[in-house]
Amino acid sequence: MTDEANKKGPESTRREFLTATTALAGAALTAGLPGPAAAERKRNPKRGGTVRFGTRDDSVGLDTHRNFIYFVSQPLAGTTGGLLDFDAGMNIVAAIAREWEPSKDLKTWTFKLHQGAEFHNGETIDANAVKWNLERILDPKIGHSFNRSALTDVDRVTVDDKWIVQVHLKEPSAAFDSNLVYYPVNLIAPGAVDKADTAPVGCGPFKFKSWKRFDICELVRFENFWETDAEGNTLPYLDGMIGRPKKEDRVRLTALRANEVDLIDNMAYADAPSFIKDSAKVYDTYPVPQVGTAMITFNMRSGPFSEKDNPDAHMLRTAAAHAIDHEGIHEAVFNKQGKVAKGFYSESSPWYGKDIKSWPAFDPDKAKALRKKAKDGDAKLLIIANDSFPYMQQSGELVHAMLKDAGFNVTFEIHPTPVIQDKYNKAAFDIDSTANSYRIDPDGWYSRNILSSAPETKRRIGYVNEKVDQLIVAARVELDKNKRRQMYADVDSLVNQDLPLLYTHYVSIIQAGSKKLKGYKPAFTGPFQYAGGGLRTAWIES
Amino acid sequence: MTELEARKFADLEAIRAPTLGGRLARWRTALANAWHELRKSRTASIGAVMLVLLFGACIATPWITTYDPIKQNYRERLQPPSEKHLLGTDRMGRDIYSRLLWGGRRLVTIAILAVTFGLSLGIPYGVLSGYFGGRVDTIAMRFVDGLLAFPGLLLYLLIVTLAREWKMEGIYNDMVLIFALGFAFMPEVARLSRGSVLVEKQKEYVEASRAVGDGSLAIALRQILPNIISPLIVNATVRLGYVILIVAALSFLGLGTPPPTPDWGSDLAAARDYMETAPLIAAFPGLAICYTVLAFNLFGDGLRDILDPRLAER
Amino acid sequence: MLAYIIRRVAYLVPVLFVLTLVVFTFVEMLPGNIIDTLVGNEGVNDPEVRKILEKEYGLDQPVYIRYAKWLFRAVQGDFGMSLVTRRPVAVELLTGIPATVYLAVVGISLSMMIAVPLGTIAAVKRNTPIDYTAQVTSLIGISIPEFWFAILCVLFFSLYLGWLPSSGFANPFVDPWASLKFLILPAAAVGFRQAAYTTRLTRSSMLDEMNKEYVDTARSVGLSEGKVIFKYTLRNAMIPTITISGLQLANLLGGTVVLESIFAWPGIGRAIFEAILQRDYPLVQAGVLVLGCIVVVMNLLVDLTYRLLNPRVKLG
Repeated sequence: MTDEANKKGPESTRREFLTATTALAGAALTAGLPGPAAAERKRNPKRGGTVRFGTRDDSVGLDTHRNFIYFVSQPLAGTTGGLLDFDAGMNIVAAIAREWEPSKDLKTWTFKLHQGAEFHNGETIDANAVKWNLERILDPKIGHSFNRSALTDVDRVTVDDKWIVQVHLKEPSAAFDSNLVYYPVNLIAPGAVDKADTAPVGCGPFKFKSWKRFDICELVRFENFWETDAEGNTLPYLDGMIGRPKKEDRVRLTALRANEVDLIDNMAYADAPSFIKDSAKVYDTYPVPQVGTAMITFNMRSGPFSEKDNPDAHMLRTAAAHAIDHEGIHEAVFNKQGKVAKGFYSESSPWYGKDIKSWPAFDPDKAKALRKKAKDGDAKLLIIANDSFPYMQQSGELVHAMLKDAGFNVTFEIHPTPVIQDKYNKAAFDIDSTANSYRIDPDGWYSRNILSSAPETKRRIGYVNEKVDQLIVAARVELDKNKRRQMYADVDSLVNQDLPLLYTHYVSIIQAGSKKLKGYKPAFTGPFQYAGGGLRTAWIES
Repeated sequence: MTELEARKFADLEAIRAPTLGGRLARWRTALANAWHELRKSRTASIGAVMLVLLFGACIATPWITTYDPIKQNYRERLQPPSEKHLLGTDRMGRDIYSRLLWGGRRLVTIAILAVTFGLSLGIPYGVLSGYFGGRVDTIAMRFVDGLLAFPGLLLYLLIVTLAREWKMEGIYNDMVLIFALGFAFMPEVARLSRGSVLVEKQKEYVEASRAVGDGSLAIALRQILPNIISPLIVNATVRLGYVILIVAALSFLGLGTPPPTPDWGSDLAAARDYMETAPLIAAFPGLAICYTVLAFNLFGDGLRDILDPRLAER
Repeated sequence: MLAYIIRRVAYLVPVLFVLTLVVFTFVEMLPGNIIDTLVGNEGVNDPEVRKILEKEYGLDQPVYIRYAKWLFRAVQGDFGMSLVTRRPVAVELLTGIPATVYLAVVGISLSMMIAVPLGTIAAVKRNTPIDYTAQVTSLIGISIPEFWFAILCVLFFSLYLGWLPSSGFANPFVDPWASLKFLILPAAAVGFRQAAYTTRLTRSSMLDEMNKEYVDTARSVGLSEGKVIFKYTLRNAMIPTITISGLQLANLLGGTVVLESIFAWPGIGRAIFEAILQRDYPLVQAGVLVLGCIVVVMNLLVDLTYRLLNPRVKLG
């Protein structure tokens, strides 16, 4: 990717793409394009090795459609590939689809595939295979809800030609292509579907070899991967990857120090400052500024924070917001790693909105005053948090303490996922300490969680604001990136005022690796492999 | 007479069919013996002293703590012991000393109530089952065996996970936990009681009472119970220590009461992240657990030495 | 004797039945559902999706039918599929149980190697400093929480000294040396508490034996002290020790949950724990059933062994 392309962003890149490929000069723009002929595929003779990767998470199962394969911290994500890819700056780039464009009404997207790209077992990735994959993901009996949610807008998929796929949407969308990156819409080989749960066959840079849950995941290099480096060597350089899931932060860090792994995907916030200081000579640290955004959401469907049940609901929410000290969360929960969040996107993101009006500042006296004034200010409130994420729990704990200081009658509960989902369904909570993963395209966040008509918004927040809805719907079909960015910034300004939720902090992680690992850098939201980088261009120095 | 003779005399009294006066006399000598033994037995004395200190601290907690245990102050996080904070502060800036005291009060209360509840369920269950025997006994014991077949912590895990989700309005949250723990502890008590009853049933004095014409239930309660109390008391005391370990382990796994309520187990779990930067945070809750369990074990050991005359020569 | 054995084996059946019923009931009563997790944000407003998934996982049928179906299949050895990993539950069990058994057996063996000699010496040299030391250390040993001890071990041997890995697992048949390295700390954590307990047990049963008449008789006949102890007393004292250790072993199978979490040991305790949290009913039920079987069978074996070795105890 050239620097120019990086700065401009998705749709400009796409246009350059289209012009370039029609001139059959694709290789000039992108460092790697699918499809060097079999005879031409060569390896870089000096770069190889097997990286041992310690991750926080492990996959639940091997079928990459049925299970949510987290591309930041599950080794299995190394086997996944899709129609599109992203680069270090989270810009959408070509992968199996070499060109793509929407129709004028933004309801039909056409993807032209590279001819000759293969799955790990040698099957060709043609239009029928793609169609089969998309339909499989859309099947509610098979597709995990997260993967399926990427394709909710899809009405049907048609195959025009052996190498052309057309996706027809229910609603026009300028942002649809961002949903088709290898995560979550990854492609698996139709011919190997019966082995999907035991020996998955994908099209990513690494091939599956073996897997024992919570113990080890072995992957080997895929020799026929489509991407090449500037010299024409096929990626990845590495011979293989061994994933070692280690849930406890401390255990993972110790494994790195004890040379049991070469790379870890995360460390505890408590350990970060001293590690960075003491180990700089021996280890490289790779800070990832925003893997997600933490926030607290208010239940506006029912209860004291809902306009339906309480005319002073907004006042009460504002009181709660005034009671919360973002600096406290920054220090006590995140140990000063990362930044306080004023909007959904952080400064490192191309979607960062500059002039967002801030949420209510920390003012305990004002919080107390407003709470006393508001109706239901003494009502019993329940804060919940999911037990899978320490920072959600700790933020919840801190928020609980801060609200208690302001005189709120709050209790705090931590629950496993099924119970949390149950509580969402029944609107049986008042405040939720939660977070959301980074979305490559803002539409992925705003139209699912802020737009009033979205099922998830209705379920978890119940927020309705016409102006916000208008902005989100318009932004979805706006092609000019700067205009879109401003629209989403305006939405966040309104959100910070209406307070259906309160952004608290960007969830950053710190990856670290031994100095033997060369050529590695995670994408700024954490993915450990992406077009032209990450573990695709890394190697172990012997 | 010498002590030994006095004790033997007390035993003889137990075998003879007692009148009320006789029974009282027996108890009086038994108690006098007990106090004497207690002061003599080193383990029991030390254990008793430790327990007195422990209970004292639990009762006096509202007066001897220095801070509100849930008040966080993130500007004073992870501080070592100082004048201001006797044992330092934890990761949210809360005073560890106060948290230990409140946590201990809660934990000891839960343990005592749970064991009491378990005893009050298990003893009648086991005694009646053992006394009546036959079909009743078989069915009752099969149910108990089913519960006992859960290895290790699993039964507790299941019950506590369930208990956490049942929130009864207006009732102190931990009550459900207490019931759960007591219920999980009941099978052992039932087994033990039944076993003792079976042994006692064959003894002479039971036959004697039957011959005299006492009703069956009356026999069970009046004759057998006092004789099985000893092993049960010892077992219960040691069980208290064990329950504390279990509750701590469950909170450590995340199944305890949610933060910010002070809890030794979850404080220990939270401290793991700071093992290198502030190891003392993990040390204090652990030491507190050790002390408490040791106190109960010591006293239980001493009690066993006292109450079971056969072992008195040790 | 045979009749007794048959009776005891037949007795197992209703016990296990109660076990499965209790597990099933408890897991049923837990709020939240695997469907909730699967459905995510799609199925809330779309009851169709919910219905499809419920049918797929068989959760649309009433409780007693589900239990009956499960029981019917379970007795034939079919434990169904894990709701979470969609692999046969049997596979999960086959990976988890050997790991836990490995840890438990090594832990107990280590503990007995320390505890039996220590307890014996303490009994033989009663009321000497050695005895007091043994008593005190073993008393403290049973008072220390296992998980705290484990954390301290990790802090000292892993972080501070760097001698041993802090967590992980290696298959002993594949890589015995690495397996040993991963095994030491967890086995020590399991073993030290067992050692404390067994020391006390050994000491008290030795004292019991040594008080018996035959010991005095043997001494008066002229047998050397060493012979008296090792040939006779010890062997008899070992009976309760070994039998109770057998029970402890069975109990450890479900009791290592915490240690398995700390050391990332892929055992069955941790698997069941996670399954409870994720409402993966088939795994929980099958896991508890298999472990329960092992426990009751071990209890039975211990019982029989005890009666065989100690013929004075009446059968029945």
